[in-house]
Amino acid sequence: MRQKYVCTVWFTLHFLLIIAFSLRDTLWLVAHGPTIFPASFRSYSQKAEGVVSALLCERLAASNPVRQVLATYLHIAGIETGYGYFAPNVPGSYKLVFELHYPDGRVEYKLPRVGSDAAGFRVAGLLDKIGRTPYDALREHLVRIMAASIWREHSEVKTIRAVFGSIKLPSVNEFEHGKRQTYQFLYAYDFSLHEESREPEGR
Amino acid sequence: MRVLRERLFEFLFPIESDTWLSILRVGLGSQITLYSWSLRNDWNYLLAGAAGGLIDRHLTEALLSVESHFVPRLGWLVNFGTHAGLHEETILSLTWICLLAAGCGLLVGLFCRTSAILAWFLHLCAAKSGGFVSYGVDNFMTIGLFYLMLSPLPDRYALDWQLRKSRLGDSPFLGFWRRVLQFHLCVIYFFSGLTKCLGSGWWDGSNVWRALIRPPFNVIDPEILVRWKDLFPMAGIFICLLEIGYPFFIWSDKTRKTWLICICAMHILIGVAMGMYLFSLVMIVLNVAAFGPALIRLEDKRISLQPQEAVS
Repeated sequence: MRQKYVCTVWFTLHFLLIIAFSLRDTLWLVAHGPTIFPASFRSYSQKAEGVVSALLCERLAASNPVRQVLATYLHIAGIETGYGYFAPNVPGSYKLVFELHYPDGRVEYKLPRVGSDAAGFRVAGLLDKIGRTPYDALREHLVRIMAASIWREHSEVKTIRAVFGSIKLPSVNEFEHGKRQTYQFLYAYDFSLHEESREPEGR
Repeated sequence: MRVLRERLFEFLFPIESDTWLSILRVGLGSQITLYSWSLRNDWNYLLAGAAGGLIDRHLTEALLSVESHFVPRLGWLVNFGTHAGLHEETILSLTWICLLAAGCGLLVGLFCRTSAILAWFLHLCAAKSGGFVSYGVDNFMTIGLFYLMLSPLPDRYALDWQLRKSRLGDSPFLGFWRRVLQFHLCVIYFFSGLTKCLGSGWWDGSNVWRALIRPPFNVIDPEILVRWKDLFPMAGIFICLLEIGYPFFIWSDKTRKTWLICICAMHILIGVAMGMYLFSLVMIVLNVAAFGPALIRLEDKRISLQPQEAVS
């Protein structure tokens, strides 16, 4: 009987956490994304998201033991995120092209390569994360690491230019009128063996 | 109050056979095996440190440490192995072999508990250390494996049960862990449906089109897809209603069969049309384990609990 009480308490806490995180993510989507709600909902949603985040100890210092324990549990149970996949709308995707400049003036173009479709989904996910990060320094660092992996395969390359862009998807009507996917330039980074990186060229 | 408590316990701890657990074990065993096998050529490349990987694992682990220092990660295994004189590449390869072995162990039901814990731990390490290259499938695998390792293993279809006559788990707790999985799926689909309903693109079908032509999910030629454009609005609304209605219609005997078949069909279509076969498989496994046994009525025929076990 005692075990049943313990399980019931755990069940309650576990699902409170799952629902709270799902609710927080839903409120975040309403606050930040274009949704069917009027724009006036955004500020309410933002405030509500703040309240839920505070209840989930996310406003505590990162080093706070309560926050650390909670974060550990959330990660090991796989409940640290909400479930808004492809919601509220399906975003476009991103593309990263490496321009390899050889000492003899030759230029070669390379895409990040993996050995299977399963890994390909993961690389696509990585590009989405790079594209959506609000931190310029993190974006540049990630692109630099990916450029380094290209460099290992092509050690004779003098400089690498990494061009990051988004893929614009046509609507059904546009597709029927002949429009296809378009590539929109977002950032470019130059890397050389001696000079790691220069300022990115912006959008 | 007492009546309420008894009803709550009756609901949370129903007497169950272990058919659902067999489905979950075999399903997640297959999932882990396929997951490992599909990444056999890229495992080290995706998860290595700065020296040989696509993305520096140390960066992901440093970001993870900001959240918590105690979340399992590959760095722990690499540090441990380095003390024993092993190279990072060797440790990553050993991790992959152990994960594959744990998947096979779950599939046939050999060393069920150990295999479940090992699969959960190693997959979690890989998913967290490869945070930048992980996606939804990893999340659902962690959820499934977390519940599996806490459930009363082994089930009677496992080799452990056949070879060693290991004792069947406590029946009320079999029911409890199934309830946990059922509730979790209800929350997942409800919020997934709710967030989709917030986007206008699911009501006019444009999101169905975008999901199908978006790289790398563009398995079907858009020239073929565009012929079916009139179905997209219906498909979008159907997906929203199917997901948001899941927690309301999956519990009733009258609607469970329809809902479960529709949800599984949706995941099969996602697997076929978008190439996300691992994602589809894990979702079908979780759904069939949670709500399938009552549907196929295997329990009534094959229940083998002894009367005294059922009473206690």
